[in-house]
Amino acid sequence: MTTLLAWLGENALAEWMRLSRWGYAAVNALHVLGVSLLLGAIVSLDLRLLGWRRQLPLQTLARLLQPVAIGGLVLAMAAGTLLFLADPTGYAGMTLFRLKLGLIGLAVANALLLNLGPGLAAATPRRLRLAGLLSLLLWPATLLAGRFLAFLDA
Amino acid sequence: MQRQARWLLAIVIALFLAPAQAHHGWTGGETIEIEGSITQVRLGNPHGEVELDVDGETWTVEVGQPWRNERAGLAEGDLAEGVELRVSGERAGERRLKAEQLWIDGDHYVLYPGRI
Repeated sequence: MTTLLAWLGENALAEWMRLSRWGYAAVNALHVLGVSLLLGAIVSLDLRLLGWRRQLPLQTLARLLQPVAIGGLVLAMAAGTLLFLADPTGYAGMTLFRLKLGLIGLAVANALLLNLGPGLAAATPRRLRLAGLLSLLLWPATLLAGRFLAFLDA
Repeated sequence: MQRQARWLLAIVIALFLAPAQAHHGWTGGETIEIEGSITQVRLGNPHGEVELDVDGETWTVEVGQPWRNERAGLAEGDLAEGVELRVSGERAGERRLKAEQLWIDGDHYVLYPGRI
């Protein structure tokens, strides 16, 4: 594990992330863009799942919001991987960073279990509310954990 | 609708009025100066960290990102294991210091000209 982390930090891409001023800043901005697309879309959908604006058809709404959320997640993960490369050993050693990865795993699992399980069309209202509530708790918690990496040394 | 718009306006105003949260790191801690020998170095984004042995105690000194260290005049190898370092900055924890200026071999390097 230690060797793998050290190796991850040794290639040209990692060195560029470590040393570049505007490259690092740009990747940072892309990470924030990805997170905002994801959270903006998924929180809107979660509120609908919880019963807000019930008159808007869920399927139609999901056809718009889910692709935006998935696109945001992919962008955030790609940019996040680059940010991680700047200091693999440091990040991997932080409890808060591991917590963040765990939260992402749970949030993604929650979405997959709903969509690949019953699916939005067939799920019971109760199942939809449960998934919406979990999502509404997990994604903002992920964002908080990520943001606080810069402020805590845990 | 009107009521919602008013709420939104109130929230936006509140966000702007919230005291500009200090850039990470500057938390208003006391300014102190320490001196010791460098035992470990990790330089690079988001910022570098230097472990300093100060009379047997290990301190963590946060230095700048690469461009800031370079602007201060620090060359590669200046911050290296075994180098004697005197550093002044804001205390950011039990044994953690965010460097504002430092001295190596009598040479003075200023990381944050606006803060000294």
